[in-house]
Amino acid sequence: MKKLDKRLFRLINNTKGQYIAVLAIVVTGLFVFTAVSNSALNLKDSLNDYYVETNFADIFVSAISLPQKLESSIIGESDISEAEARLVFDTSFITDDDEDKVNVRAVSVDKNENKINKLYIKSGKRALSEKDIIVIEQFAVARNINVGDQIKLQINGRQYKFNVSAIAASSEYTYIMENEQAMLPDPENFGIVYIEEDYLRKIYGSKGNFNEILIEINNEDKLDETSEFLEDHLDKYGVKRVIKKDDQLSNSMMKQEIEGLEMMSKSVPVIFLVFAGIMLSSMLSRIIKKDRTAIGILKALGYKNSEVIVHYLKYAASVGVIGGLIGSIVGTALSGAMTNYYLVFFNIPTLTIKVYYDRIIISIILSCLFCIVSGFWGVKGITKINPAESMKPESPGKGKRILIEKIKIIWNHIPFSWKMVLRSIFREKKKFAFVGAAVAITCGMMVMTIWMIDIMDVMFNKHYNEFMKMEYNINFIGFENENAKKEVAENINVEDIEGRIELPFELENGKKSKIVNVIGLEKNTVFYGFEDMKGSKVYIPDDGILISSNLATGLNVKTGDSILLKNFLPNKDDGYVTVKGIIKQSLGINGYMNLNYLNDKFLDKGIINGIYLNSDDDVSSKLKDVKNINTIQSQNDMRSAFEEYTGLINVSMGFMVIFSGLLGFIIMYSMTLMSINERTLEFSSLRVMGFSKKEIFNMLVRENMIMSFIGIIVGIPLGLWLVNYMATSYTTDVYSMNEPVSAISVVIAMILTIVFLISAQFMTYAKIHKLDFMQALKNRIS
Amino acid sequence: MSEVVLKVENLSKYYTMGEVTVKALEDASFEVTKGEFIVILGPSGSGKSTLLNIMGGMDTPSSGNVYFNDELLTAMNEKGLTMYRRNKIGFVFQFYNLMATLTARENVELATEICEDSIDIEDVMASIGLSDRIDHFPSQMSGGEQQRVAIARAVAKNPQILLCDEPTGALDFETGISILKVLKDVNIKYKNTVVVITHNSPISQMADKVIKMRSGKITEIIINKNPIEPERIEW
Repeated sequence: MKKLDKRLFRLINNTKGQYIAVLAIVVTGLFVFTAVSNSALNLKDSLNDYYVETNFADIFVSAISLPQKLESSIIGESDISEAEARLVFDTSFITDDDEDKVNVRAVSVDKNENKINKLYIKSGKRALSEKDIIVIEQFAVARNINVGDQIKLQINGRQYKFNVSAIAASSEYTYIMENEQAMLPDPENFGIVYIEEDYLRKIYGSKGNFNEILIEINNEDKLDETSEFLEDHLDKYGVKRVIKKDDQLSNSMMKQEIEGLEMMSKSVPVIFLVFAGIMLSSMLSRIIKKDRTAIGILKALGYKNSEVIVHYLKYAASVGVIGGLIGSIVGTALSGAMTNYYLVFFNIPTLTIKVYYDRIIISIILSCLFCIVSGFWGVKGITKINPAESMKPESPGKGKRILIEKIKIIWNHIPFSWKMVLRSIFREKKKFAFVGAAVAITCGMMVMTIWMIDIMDVMFNKHYNEFMKMEYNINFIGFENENAKKEVAENINVEDIEGRIELPFELENGKKSKIVNVIGLEKNTVFYGFEDMKGSKVYIPDDGILISSNLATGLNVKTGDSILLKNFLPNKDDGYVTVKGIIKQSLGINGYMNLNYLNDKFLDKGIINGIYLNSDDDVSSKLKDVKNINTIQSQNDMRSAFEEYTGLINVSMGFMVIFSGLLGFIIMYSMTLMSINERTLEFSSLRVMGFSKKEIFNMLVRENMIMSFIGIIVGIPLGLWLVNYMATSYTTDVYSMNEPVSAISVVIAMILTIVFLISAQFMTYAKIHKLDFMQALKNRIS
Repeated sequence: MSEVVLKVENLSKYYTMGEVTVKALEDASFEVTKGEFIVILGPSGSGKSTLLNIMGGMDTPSSGNVYFNDELLTAMNEKGLTMYRRNKIGFVFQFYNLMATLTARENVELATEICEDSIDIEDVMASIGLSDRIDHFPSQMSGGEQQRVAIARAVAKNPQILLCDEPTGALDFETGISILKVLKDVNIKYKNTVVVITHNSPISQMADKVIKMRSGKITEIIINKNPIEPERIEW
């Protein structure tokens, strides 16, 4: 081995504290990059394979009633290559426990095989006869349903028994949400079942008609065109929604998750690598400064500038190679676990965990190049070292007074040790700015993470406690007279009960349109707590419509604007209504109207299609025989489902806290170490004068305290900016994150940041304690 | 006639510090012949280190020429000077300037690895009497031992000229004498030209040629017909 390389190894050994610190940052950056981007790739590839294998639909259309002949007549029109009609409705799943309120979505399927959205059979057989049923895997697992079991469904007021012939997964339901407002899957209380088409139509009584049609097209570029065609062409059948595959609920949740991972894989590693780069550059420039004489000797011995530069660049390159190697290998190993973690939420039977070797190699090359470039920035001063000059002691830097010294009244009252602290900070502005920036990023990321933990809770609790206040949401099979409310009230003890309409409309403002459920509510409803964007209470107006803020943004409307509501019901009118207010809604997007106004304008007087109620009674069992009830949803079930996932969410947020804290910890630790190494002579002189080790340590602590304080002050607005950025990029139709950061979140973030910084500080005390000050004063070896 | 290895002609070096021009070296001229032991003698600030640095290709003059074997050193670019230092010159410094993280042997190898015609390290270490300390780190050695390693590092390159900047300046009398003896032995054994700069006038007694300097100028060049053994020097 070349002697210079040997020297390099010993240099690394002598600076191992800082070396490991910068290595840890590179490892973390590369680890996050490979773990997250591999998980995203695994999910993306597996999902695409799954969609190809099961022939995932391009467009999903739901309507009031679609004739079977439509299947064949529509093929060939507007680029449509395949169409498959089906019957889909939610209904009750009967359990032995009367308290249980379990709903399933019954979907009709071909008795042998579907052409679109084929089922992925996990066990049992695909072929169906009458009274056979296929149960979706997530629901089967949650309720311990196996092939050969018998299950009961309540359809159209009657109980039907089915034999479970297979357990299957479906590409349409990788992520099962009952609706847009559910946010999280609740497989114990909501599942999907597949029943043979003819039999399901017979028992449902749909007179041979369907209510959904799945569409495949030849050319994906024509997706918008075909969707528009379908909206117009199927209008006469009462089209409710035309959903392109990107907007399909399960698919869009998957895509959002993948996009979130991709965004994280691009942003977090960059932050870590930039800091590693600055640190490396700073470390090397300080090593060069310290090695000035040694570099002079090397040059005097006949080493070329390029040879000396390469010698020090190898230090940086080794960080890149080792960091890249460890980071990408650990990241790749953990990406498997991380991908598997997604199976808790998403059911992708074709999920394969691949090792992307090309990514590992690219990561190592990139991290190595990055470190070399950063290192070069630090060592470029080597060329300026004159061998003859380097043998002489370096002339002391220009001493000048710092700004605060000119303000005599303040300066004269500052104790001596603080004066030294202030001078030291002002004379090393770059280091000061760097440590301050690291603390700011740590604090900012902490604010964002704490806010994210908060927002999950706030979004859910606000939505289900303050926004929607009903305990039960009962759906009727069709429209009922308002008297149906009385019938329900007669069967159970109710505290509050109100009739409601929930119906899809297409809301149109110029060229912008959205299909959403509009909810008709009683005038002084107790079941909703509407608030405007400023947090003031809002009531259902006598006429006009309230719309959620995300919908207002999507349609580009403001209070006072008029929007067109297109009715999907046959023979019912469309009409313009005025936007009377824009309200906060964290989950889902909806419009809200006065029930009477909605009925008068778009439906018939005195009808409802569901009710909200609060009751301590055993609602589910007492209402199970009421004929016109389709499903009963309990908000409590939603809450408990959320609580089940809180633990998992907290684990991932815990990782974020650790990563953020690590950055501040490492930079504070290594920069303090660097300070100690460089100022050994200064500290030695202080020791000679009678300063204790503790007093010297306190000086360093004071310097770091000032840098940390400023870093935290800058970190808070940075955190708020990150929160705003996250809120904007994560807000979708499904959820809106427009909750501000609470003061408590900021305080928690500050405390966590301080804990990490104090820990780093304590780690450096050992170094101060071990320093041989006397030796430093007489040391003349390069 | 002896072969001239280094010829210094009207060499000057000026430093400008603000509005003041400091003449570190002024119009110096002399010749160095092969195998000669030269002492450049002068007080602190007399310009001897500046002269040594220019002779060693570590610094460039403001005016004048330096020829190394008829090659104009002062016209060489950075690359040429590096190759000159690498293959023709060996340096010994007052404060040894060893690499703290390399052992004695490795410090010597650091120099021999890059030069064209090095001498066997074991042989050099034996010549300077350090065979038993070859695998020690500088911090495990005395000042005299460190300086011997520094000499070995310079000699092992098999340079034509050995330039020594106050090699005994940081050492006590006895160790200083032992170092001078090593330099003289090396001068005889390997036939290197040795140039020692010092402020310590007794050392000049062992030189073949003494160049006296004061205030940047050469005041006198003395040819010493009867140089004495280092052991006989006293100060």
